[in-house]
Amino acid sequence: MNKAGSKISLSEMEDGQYGIIDSIAGGKNLVKRLADLGITKGAGIKVLRSTLFSGPVQVEVCGSRYVLGHGMALKIIVVLND
Amino acid sequence: MTDEKKINIVLAGQGNTGKSTVFNFLTGLHQHTGNWAGKTIEKLEGTLYYKGYTVDVLDLPGIYSLTTYSVEEVISREYIVTQKPDFVIDIIDSINLERNLIFALQLLELECPVILALNMFDLAKKKGIAIDCQKLQDIINVPVIPTVASRGSGLTDIIDKVIELKEGGKDFIHLSYGKEIEKCISELSELLHDVNLPYPPRWIAIKLLEKDKEIIKSIREKKPEIIVKVKQLGEDLEDIHGHDSSIVIADERSHLASQITRDIVKIAPHRKISLNERLDIITTHKFSGYLVMILILGGMFLAVFSFGNWLSSVLDPVFLGWHNWWNNTVGITFLDSLGWSAIESALALFQIALPYILPFYIILYILEDWGYIARISFLMDKFMHKMGIHGKGCISFIIGLGCNVPGCLSCRIMESRRERFITAVLVTLVPCSAVSIIVFGLVGKYVSLLWAFGLYLFAMVVVFIAGKLSSKLLLGEPVELIMHMPDYKTPHVKTILYQTWDSLKEFIYIAAPLVIISGVVIQAINLAGWMPAISTFLSPVTVNWLGLPAITGILLIFGILRKELILVMLAAYLGTTEFADVLTKPQMITLAVVSMFYVPCVATISVLWKEYGWKKALAVCILEILFAILLAGLVKKLLDFVF
Repeated sequence: MNKAGSKISLSEMEDGQYGIIDSIAGGKNLVKRLADLGITKGAGIKVLRSTLFSGPVQVEVCGSRYVLGHGMALKIIVVLND
Repeated sequence: MTDEKKINIVLAGQGNTGKSTVFNFLTGLHQHTGNWAGKTIEKLEGTLYYKGYTVDVLDLPGIYSLTTYSVEEVISREYIVTQKPDFVIDIIDSINLERNLIFALQLLELECPVILALNMFDLAKKKGIAIDCQKLQDIINVPVIPTVASRGSGLTDIIDKVIELKEGGKDFIHLSYGKEIEKCISELSELLHDVNLPYPPRWIAIKLLEKDKEIIKSIREKKPEIIVKVKQLGEDLEDIHGHDSSIVIADERSHLASQITRDIVKIAPHRKISLNERLDIITTHKFSGYLVMILILGGMFLAVFSFGNWLSSVLDPVFLGWHNWWNNTVGITFLDSLGWSAIESALALFQIALPYILPFYIILYILEDWGYIARISFLMDKFMHKMGIHGKGCISFIIGLGCNVPGCLSCRIMESRRERFITAVLVTLVPCSAVSIIVFGLVGKYVSLLWAFGLYLFAMVVVFIAGKLSSKLLLGEPVELIMHMPDYKTPHVKTILYQTWDSLKEFIYIAAPLVIISGVVIQAINLAGWMPAISTFLSPVTVNWLGLPAITGILLIFGILRKELILVMLAAYLGTTEFADVLTKPQMITLAVVSMFYVPCVATISVLWKEYGWKKALAVCILEILFAILLAGLVKKLLDFVF
């Protein structure tokens, strides 16, 4: 189990876990695209559901739900909350 | 006098906000569609007559931001800046207020008169989201109006407000971002006062810091020294914030939006799990999600094909009657027959459009409006990634199974040109309903159903391999899926009907010219008696390599018009539908394989041509012809062992 306070990528989070985005290790365009959706450093993010075989994840950020591809989830680093 | 009574407004907003519902409500039947100059993106305009005013309404494409990631975004901001509409109505999805506010902030930067319409206000309330509109209005200093577009409520309030403000004056306030950023912005704005560009200086300053390619280019041409300053300021910002200045601005907007949201929104504590949540748990579940998807899509195809087969069995005799009437009253000379083939080609379009495409679109738009399509993209993303495209491409494949034409058109939902093109090419390989007539009418009936389904499976494998290849061959980074997951909501009948109507119209408009012209040309060749010569000419391929009767050369030429003609013409030439008398089982399978892949039909070629230019369309056709011949030949060799 991942403990609260540990830093992991979004793709490693389990369903229902919540954390604060610590950094996004993507290219400029990707980070901007995500920021336009409110997915940015400091925002709270909750994993709602993931798919089999490391597919995309469904997340909730500031009241909106998004689907993020696996490659992108790898790049989003999150500090876990309780 | 008349000038004073004219107002023009544009509707802006992100996808899934009910923008098109607002547009349809306001303009009703007074709409016309066109294209943005030089672009293949649809431009929707309409007119509303209200309280003595003529209100011209333009519906901008649904977009997520006003930065230059996509053509739609550039079009939208150019339009707002250069055409200076009287008002920009930003349609906001109240349930996703925070994200929508980020977009609203970008609109406000453009310093155009904005009115915010908080749409789906009722659904937000139901979810326990209480929004203080007055407070929002005070913070951002633009009118805020709650609306429920599906019921039409609040929409006339918008227009009333527009008229009220049109008669009064307008003023702007700037929302401030962080202190250091504001300092950079004002320093740059000073320098920008005398550059002669249609944009507000503050906006140019922000875009320069955001490293917007187009803006940097135009400033470099006018005042290159500003770019040096931008670099220096950008580096300062990077030192303070620790990342690229372009990201600093985007972050800042996002934080401001979240701060405003906190100020104006009260969320009721979680009650029991909502119906939406429960439905979502089932429909996006690791296992049951796929089961539900198969049931829904299977049901959809079953419904479409059974309705389609019924309706075409009703339509066919009617059109046959018209043909007989034509022969009897107009005549059967060379020109008369050509005239009929033009009419027949046009009728054929309706023969596909009414029985198959119409119900297909209706069901598809119901699923979309309900919110299910996004779930399919979610479930299929991983699989689609193996072909180098992301989950949204799956929708085009599903549509392509009905008909390749709307399938190819739907590739517009893909973000980059590269992905659009890859998806469109793959869709042309997906067996459409016309191909299914051949597969089931020939192989399913005379060989076995198992073989027919096997061919479908085979087609899937081919599409998959082609996808893998093309994503390797076509340079460029694959785009990752970023998609908003809408809540399930009750489908809105009027919106669905409008969308269906628009799509059907588009299908006919795009396909008709090429379909009719090629129908006449092929008929002319036929009447001139050149077909036997052509079939002899093609016989090295058809007879020697594929082992088919020489006549198939002619069939395959007719098949370019519509694939099912291969079977229809075969029956006509043989004078019987007892195909087993003339074709062996391996021949049937080989013919089906060729028919599946050898070339997209004329209507599909029209779409490829329109969307990607004639060169690419031609290249796709030639490649697919060669590929199909090669593949079918190999299949034939293998079949010789089996049978």
